[in-house]
Amino acid sequence: MMFNTLARLPDDRKSMYSQSQNSVYKTGDKTSPISVILVTSGSRGNKLLFRYPFQRLAECPSSLTAKQRSPYALNTTGDGLEDQDGDSREQSPLTDEQLVAGFSDIILATILATKSDICGKKFELKIDNVRFVGHPTLLQHPPIIQANADPSVISCMHNLSRRIAIALQHEERRCQYLTREAKLMLAIQDEITTMTEMDGSPQSPFRQILPKCKLARDLKEAYDSLCTTGVVRLHINNWLEVSFCLPHKIHRIGGNYIPPEALERSLKAIRPYHALLLLESEKALLGQLPLDCSPAMVRLIKTCSAVKNLQQLAQDADLALLQIFQIAAHLVYWGKAIIIYPLCENNVYMLSPHANICLYSSLAEQFSQQFPGHDLPSMLAKFSLPVSLAEFRNPLEAPAQEAQLIQMVVWMLQRRLLIQLHTYVCLLVPPSEDEPGLRDEDPPLAARVGGRSLSTPSALSFGSPTSSDDMTLTSPSMDNSSAELLPGGDSPLNKRMTETLLASLSEHERQVILNIPAAQNPEDLRMFARLLHYFRGHHHLEEIMYNENMRRSQLKTLFDKFRSVLVVTSHEDPIISIFQSPME
Amino acid sequence: MGMTTRIECIFFSEFHPTLGPKITYQVPEEYISRELFDTVQVYIITKPELQNKLITVTAMGKKLIGCPVCIEHKKYSRNALLFNLGLVCDAQTNTCALEPIVKKLSGYLTTLELESGFISNEESKQKLLPILSTLLEELNATGACTLPIDESNTIHLKLIQLRKDPPIVQEYDVPVFTQCKDHFIKSQWDLTTQQILPYIDGFRHIQKISAEADVELNLVRIAVQNLLYYGVVTLVSIFQYSNVYCTTPKVQSLIDDKSVQDECLNYVTKQGQKRASLRDVFQLYCGLSPGTTVRDLCSRYSQQLQRVDERRLIQFGLMKSLIRRLQKYPVKVIRDERSRLPRLYTGCHSYDEICCKTGISYQELDERLENDPNIVVCWK
Repeated sequence: MMFNTLARLPDDRKSMYSQSQNSVYKTGDKTSPISVILVTSGSRGNKLLFRYPFQRLAECPSSLTAKQRSPYALNTTGDGLEDQDGDSREQSPLTDEQLVAGFSDIILATILATKSDICGKKFELKIDNVRFVGHPTLLQHPPIIQANADPSVISCMHNLSRRIAIALQHEERRCQYLTREAKLMLAIQDEITTMTEMDGSPQSPFRQILPKCKLARDLKEAYDSLCTTGVVRLHINNWLEVSFCLPHKIHRIGGNYIPPEALERSLKAIRPYHALLLLESEKALLGQLPLDCSPAMVRLIKTCSAVKNLQQLAQDADLALLQIFQIAAHLVYWGKAIIIYPLCENNVYMLSPHANICLYSSLAEQFSQQFPGHDLPSMLAKFSLPVSLAEFRNPLEAPAQEAQLIQMVVWMLQRRLLIQLHTYVCLLVPPSEDEPGLRDEDPPLAARVGGRSLSTPSALSFGSPTSSDDMTLTSPSMDNSSAELLPGGDSPLNKRMTETLLASLSEHERQVILNIPAAQNPEDLRMFARLLHYFRGHHHLEEIMYNENMRRSQLKTLFDKFRSVLVVTSHEDPIISIFQSPME
Repeated sequence: MGMTTRIECIFFSEFHPTLGPKITYQVPEEYISRELFDTVQVYIITKPELQNKLITVTAMGKKLIGCPVCIEHKKYSRNALLFNLGLVCDAQTNTCALEPIVKKLSGYLTTLELESGFISNEESKQKLLPILSTLLEELNATGACTLPIDESNTIHLKLIQLRKDPPIVQEYDVPVFTQCKDHFIKSQWDLTTQQILPYIDGFRHIQKISAEADVELNLVRIAVQNLLYYGVVTLVSIFQYSNVYCTTPKVQSLIDDKSVQDECLNYVTKQGQKRASLRDVFQLYCGLSPGTTVRDLCSRYSQQLQRVDERRLIQFGLMKSLIRRLQKYPVKVIRDERSRLPRLYTGCHSYDEICCKTGISYQELDERLENDPNIVVCWK
């Protein structure tokens, strides 16, 4: 016996460029399915078992004559065409539901019940503007079809299909769950057909199936969840759990979703000095976990905090850093947490360009409820210019005020209203005075030392869980070049090391640097040389502090001393900025 | 998705009165295996409900796009002629651009058959094979194909790549050409676009263009939106010396990417001056930060600006997203019960928008709001 469930979704319509005032072309939500369909093919032929939403049946021929139809009315399928937008147009494009309704049950059964050779693989079929995606299985599987043009959404849907398929396959082997449900569905369909033949009133058999058939209800739930939250959680046969999330619905910037590949790239670039910020309360999150979830996840949720970085979290929760990275990535993927830099008083925050600062937004209301006596826009106005948390500190205020401030900042971070700014440094030596224009400018340091591995192990360097890398973080700095230089004095060894480090510079650059007054101090020069490879604009101050075990004041002083060859700017960390975009 | 759509095979399939569905011609030969055809034939020569629909089926690593046609007439054996001219691509290919071509081809063949029995006549049907060959070759090579079929019929086909929907154009947006304006061939565009063209200089905003070109505002918006769609222009914000900008992480691309560097230095150098140095330009961009106006920048970095045109500097930075503009949003937070609900001071409308809509200047708006204790201003 072979089954195939599919769902249909509107395909990406061509951008029709209209000349009306409302020239924004409204397409259906491209990440939601239009419908879910379950189809079987076997000895009894091809049959459509279930579809949701139910098809609006065409009126019976007998009742059609009752309608007065103007000779100029558009000839449409089924019932009269309602003008969705209210404006009068010559020809409204068919809505998604009508497109789906256009396919009768019989034809769906035929086209979707596939041959055995393509079972076990992704199935994709596109008819005009509707796309079907599914995973036909030899023991039936309800694929969910989405007609969205974006391949990543399609493959996510296919993923869901496949998961449901596997669950159903399992239950079928165990207790013939699928066969039983299918029999039930077919029986109800036959019943309704006979009834319809007898009294002529059209009814959707699927409406009757829904209350009686658990599988039908599960499919309906999957559909509803996909259309709304993008998170699906089913219990097939009240036993096997199938959970799935559509990252496109969960992670969005403005009106567009973040492609999963971008999400994954960012997750791989998380460093141990980052922190995990939960988006819901600990209690709420723990309540959502399934009964058989890993204890490591529970420990992590209980131990994590906005002020603790991942390395500390690993120690406190007594878990390996690799595990922390994996669980953190998992929570972020499911939209339950974001990655931030741990909260501390030197952090500088600014309003996010995507922040919703509207007076009447639901966020403003929630804020007033959470923090009575304060209003969100006033608070947000304080972050119009970059401001560090330390600047809020008022010695005359009670400590409780400060604690509340922290809470407010956390609240705003959770809702992606704030971004954190970091300082980045780039080495750029003033060009040579002589031979102007004749010599090409030296390619900046960044271009020359590009590709060097970073000294902090990132999630990427862990590779897959089966990698044999043994990452111990006893010493943060693992880069070869920033060798431990012996303190004190002008020893020949130190001098040699400094020279080696400066060797990657061009002659002109070296000259300029050595002519800086601060370079006369060997200690300063040594520090400068040691940190040289960070000065390409990709490593922020905090990262250098973490890697090199240095204090902020030390670094700032060094930057100041060598300011004639350094250019400093501040902006958000591109690695985690993807998480700082607002959720819809 | 910038990959060109490569067609692997073009086939002509029909329902043979005795043999059933088969592939009559395919170029290159033997591309579609027996197995593949068996799997998908139900989607190639289809039941009546699926006829005349664009059907794309993915199977065995390939994507087949076709449009099944059925012509009913007594003269045909079985009273109907069923055929389908389709394209085959790799399963990963985005085939949206091919769909209009398939539809057009099916239309052409239908017409040819109805007019002169092109397909049902065995002799003329053989002309299909060289036609398929030419189609495959030319569509893959140039994306276009012009084929004379016989003395009176010619087929014209072109692959059109779909683009993303363009954003809405506001009256306070400023369009700027992405390429040199001289490369723009006026005659290819509609009259409205031609009329507003001289006013697109990267500094005039939509409202101003509409006033000076004497074209209705919404028409200007639509024309510019059209230019946006084709990537001919991009939008930046109005330039004023009181504007505030800040760097984005992408500013580092000026250091990392030689091509961006070159483009930038050429763009921002003052006319007639020696090319500006990378260091000066980078310092200027990094000198932009919240709280710093362009005017402040000019006074602080006057040495660096000797060879740099600050307006073009800002323009380039915005176009390439090296910097972004910080807009001011007034919000009326305290109001007494009797006063009306704030209409514009809600945090949803920037100074740019308010000034554009009400006609008052920035300074005026600033003066009004600065002294109002009930209003806070957010920058983002």
